[in-house]
Amino acid sequence: MEDVILTMKGIDKTFPGVHALNHVDFDVRRGEVHALMGENGAGKSTLMKVLTGICAKDSGEIVFEGRTVEFRSPGEAQEAGIVIVHQELNMIGHLTVAQNIFIGREPKRGLFIDDARMNKEAAKLFAQLRIDIDPKETMSNLTVAKQQMCEIAKAISHDAKVIIFDEPTAALTENEIEQLFAIIQDLRAKGYGIVYISHRMDEIKRITDRVTVMRDGQYIGTLITAECTKEDIISMMVGRVIYEDPKTENRCPPGAPVVLKVEHLNAGRLVRDVSFELHQGEILGFAGLVGAGRTETARALFGADPRDSGDIYIDGKKAEIHSPRDAVKAGIGYLSEDRKRFGAVLQKSVAENTTLASLQKFMKGIFIDKRREAGTAAEHVKALKTKTPDVEQPVKNLSGGNQQKVIIAKWLVSDARIMIFDEPTRGIDVGAKQEIYELMAKLAETGKSIIMISSELAEILRLSDRIIVMCEGRITGEMDIADATQEKIMAAATREIDQQRQAGAKEGSRP
Amino acid sequence: MENTMIKRKAARIAFIRSNTFQRLLLIAVLILLYAFFCAASPAFRRYTTLAYICNNMYYTLLLAIGVTFPIITGGTDLSMGTGLICYSLIGSYLMRMCGWPLWGAILATVLMGAAMGTVNGFGVAKLNIPPFIMTLGSMMFCRGMGSILTGGMSGTWPNYLEPGAGFRKIFRLVITADSGQRIPIPLGMVWMVLLAVIMTAVLNHTRTGRYIIGIGSGREALKLSGVNVVKWNMIAYIICGLFTGLAAVAYAGTFSNITPGEGAGFELNAIGAAIIGGTSMTGGSGSVFGAFLGVLLISLLQVGLPFIGLNANWQLLVTGCILMGAVTIDRLRKP
Amino acid sequence: MKIRIERFRALRPVRAVGFSRVVLTLVLILLCLLFQALSAIVNHGSVFLTYERLISAVNYGYFIGFMALGVTFVIATGGIDFSIGSVMFAAGLISGYCFRHYGFPMAACLVMCPLIGMVFGLVNGFLVSYVRLPSFITSLGLMQIAKSVGSLFTRTQNVSWPGESEAGGWFRSLANLKITLSGGRVLNIPTGMILLIAVAVLCSVVLHKTRAGRYMLHLGSNREAVHLSGVDTRRWEILAYVICGTLAGFAAIFYVSCYTTVLPGKGDTFNNEAIAACVMGGTSMAGGLASILGTLIGTQMIAVMQEGILAMGLSISFQYALTALILISAVIADISSRRRN
Repeated sequence: MEDVILTMKGIDKTFPGVHALNHVDFDVRRGEVHALMGENGAGKSTLMKVLTGICAKDSGEIVFEGRTVEFRSPGEAQEAGIVIVHQELNMIGHLTVAQNIFIGREPKRGLFIDDARMNKEAAKLFAQLRIDIDPKETMSNLTVAKQQMCEIAKAISHDAKVIIFDEPTAALTENEIEQLFAIIQDLRAKGYGIVYISHRMDEIKRITDRVTVMRDGQYIGTLITAECTKEDIISMMVGRVIYEDPKTENRCPPGAPVVLKVEHLNAGRLVRDVSFELHQGEILGFAGLVGAGRTETARALFGADPRDSGDIYIDGKKAEIHSPRDAVKAGIGYLSEDRKRFGAVLQKSVAENTTLASLQKFMKGIFIDKRREAGTAAEHVKALKTKTPDVEQPVKNLSGGNQQKVIIAKWLVSDARIMIFDEPTRGIDVGAKQEIYELMAKLAETGKSIIMISSELAEILRLSDRIIVMCEGRITGEMDIADATQEKIMAAATREIDQQRQAGAKEGSRP
Repeated sequence: MENTMIKRKAARIAFIRSNTFQRLLLIAVLILLYAFFCAASPAFRRYTTLAYICNNMYYTLLLAIGVTFPIITGGTDLSMGTGLICYSLIGSYLMRMCGWPLWGAILATVLMGAAMGTVNGFGVAKLNIPPFIMTLGSMMFCRGMGSILTGGMSGTWPNYLEPGAGFRKIFRLVITADSGQRIPIPLGMVWMVLLAVIMTAVLNHTRTGRYIIGIGSGREALKLSGVNVVKWNMIAYIICGLFTGLAAVAYAGTFSNITPGEGAGFELNAIGAAIIGGTSMTGGSGSVFGAFLGVLLISLLQVGLPFIGLNANWQLLVTGCILMGAVTIDRLRKP
Repeated sequence: MKIRIERFRALRPVRAVGFSRVVLTLVLILLCLLFQALSAIVNHGSVFLTYERLISAVNYGYFIGFMALGVTFVIATGGIDFSIGSVMFAAGLISGYCFRHYGFPMAACLVMCPLIGMVFGLVNGFLVSYVRLPSFITSLGLMQIAKSVGSLFTRTQNVSWPGESEAGGWFRSLANLKITLSGGRVLNIPTGMILLIAVAVLCSVVLHKTRAGRYMLHLGSNREAVHLSGVDTRRWEILAYVICGTLAGFAAIFYVSCYTTVLPGKGDTFNNEAIAACVMGGTSMAGGLASILGTLIGTQMIAVMQEGILAMGLSISFQYALTALILISAVIADISSRRRN
């Protein structure tokens, strides 16, 4: 077709242990909004990174405006006319809007930067987009939405032909989304090719022309948006194949005591009025999309981030948790999604990491009883089948799965009764995943209560006894495993937006 | 109604946190302090004291303007103080022992500063050495080097009676009034203001300044925009080195004797001044004008304290406390 | 994988000491020999390794050594302390002045030294761990304050501690015990070295065998992970600065027993040497890795270098320049070795 501006054919990309992209095809036409959908980890972001030269592809071909291209850096892609509006905005907070838009290619007059011209050009861009932003405003003073619009303006100023939006509405309010859509429609009318990555079904239905669905690094199919239903897309996203047997019934006895009760927890923008209960020996799955506020809930609960309001009860008694120290004392353990930053002390040995949270138990007088420490570490290495030559090995030499086991051991040694697993298998290869799953199930059997945050639906369905679904900082669904399906969870994970849209239509804006 | 109240309150908090507020406060403090010293000591009120304050602050001022740039990138430069002494010692050595002309010595002094700045910049930007360690190394290096090259002797630059003394007039012009009274005019202040204006323009209106701010504020974003971050980071240190060289000339031009081993501590006054003036220790924002005001405060204290009977040790104590206080305020201003 | 580990197991004894420290010791010996050769050339056949020189080098190593041991803890947590040299001088000035002018007993003055250091360490540690200021700035500010406090207390006078024959001069035997033998020969026993090694052993025990040391090292490696494991990071961090300050105060005793006189407003050059000794010994500027033995060897290297420079008839300025070069190259080596990992 002559109006096809960009074609990606047979793109293949392997990361150590993961086949991130498996012969993926994708194309964009002039004047269309093409949605790219898929669960977290389906490969959307990797595909876009390959396109914009942030990562190199292993094989495949990219044809842009009739020429085969290979971008080695984001700069080259930008020059050619492919620009990405990032999910995490890349702006220099201390500079003004115009200065940010023209960073790296400032117009000069004599020795000085021609700020007046930059402001004028920026104002022109904004007029073109029908946005009301003062080019002289400092970037950090703008709302996220306006910062994003500046990114769009920056993209256009690069003389872009293809603009990629990566979850652009994740942090926007209702009115702002409307404004963004108006801009996108405007851009479409002007003939730009637009790639739109989002999880939000109703948005996809509203503004996109075609939808391409990816799953597990594979291309699943492309649909014309107007000719398909929400359900069609969801079923393509989750697939009919279930990779592992999901759990069919809640294994937690009905009378199990409540060990943790959270009431009306509020913390920042992403934890709003969260209340739930956790029973002894239960695995409570927290499902939702990235940015739904699950990690934030966990961190607020653990005392790692300040709480605005809300109460936490442990064994029916109100717990004063203001720091991780309090949480650990109360018997909570948190396994972060980012093991390297928040989990293990990588340079240090398996033994030292194992006793990190409970070193006071390994003291003989004022000295650390290293023999006992090594003994306990070795016991846990054996019990958890951690693969390490010895307990003196620095944790950084271990694989992801084994690092995770060391962190699990840390909380077992500290006698944590409530363990919060945040994305327990992120960055862990398939075989080791299985082991972690078995381990978690075993922990629950021995009476530990587990909160598991996961963005992989299969993982949620396989392990949880009960599932809580979050969206935009609120709990939007709670179901027993017996009633849960992938479709139901997905629906709940996107429900908030639909409800708000209706509410928004009535109120005009949301607080 | 309530909404506008909240907005107004937010605006007020934003203003209190803003650099403008800090600078206004600083000006107020300066005026009050000056008034206080004037009230406390009749001798302080004289015009010559004012001229003396000016004369005393040129080198600190130049250092503070220079160090503003590395601080904005999130770094620092500790080598300025001993570097200053080292360069002016070598300058005097070149003049006295090697027979260089005055202009040659001045040029060499400034270039030595720039060279050291380049070395610092290379270590920090290219080799990723923590700035405070890299510049600590060059601080010690300068401390040793100045003495080694000059054999541990004090250095002097042409004084008022020698040929070439004209260069002192750059900083301090003495005119004889009709009554026969000699009135010193702190001419150097004019150049300082001029330099401050130029460097403000560099910081705010050239690519150099823009990228230096960018490095401190959003290094990754800058890199993604295709800017050579290493180069501009290095340039911040080169600017600082260049100003240290200029400060060395100013020091030589205002003081008669340059003693090897001196100079440690000058950089702390300069860094303290920059931070008081609203340049953030964490990088990304800063102001040459603010640094100027900060130096005024420190110099006012340095000169004023002896007038109320507090000796040099109190100055040290006060400048130490100012440095700590400034960083604490900087920390507290950032939410 | 397996084979590599087996082979390394054979190297265990070496690994226990640390490969770099073995190298460092060799370098130290080489350095002595180099100075031996150089001074023979420069000074026409004179010998470097005389008993007096050795004692002099060892003396220099005492106070640098105590400071370096202290700052090892701070660097282990990922911080830095530039105030130690001035704190040492402030302690020496204030307690010496008390002895001279207020008639304090010598024993009390000796106790005062580490206490004064501790107070400075506490202030520094508080600002770093509770107010969360960057340690290099707070310690620079504290350096100024320590200098001025010392000078103010003594009214800008030099303070000379009593000589061996004077009242209270007994304290000098803490560093050098002089026994007059029957033949009138004086035997000099370097008691200071014994004390330094004793304190080093103590430091090593604290750093590697106690909870405090463990947490300090972990703090330097990954502060967030330690915090999220429920450890009160601030408490351990402040402790590192307190230890550092206390040892800097302790160093003052050895400074005055070797060099008698403390000058007001000085002392800041020594902290650089202590830090250089520390980094040379394999303590990483990035934190998390520290070696007491390495610091000790590094200290001796600095001391030998200083003595060697003087022996060759060069000024102390060479020491500054050389220390600078060593410091920077040690940091570059540290950075590149971490990058390789």
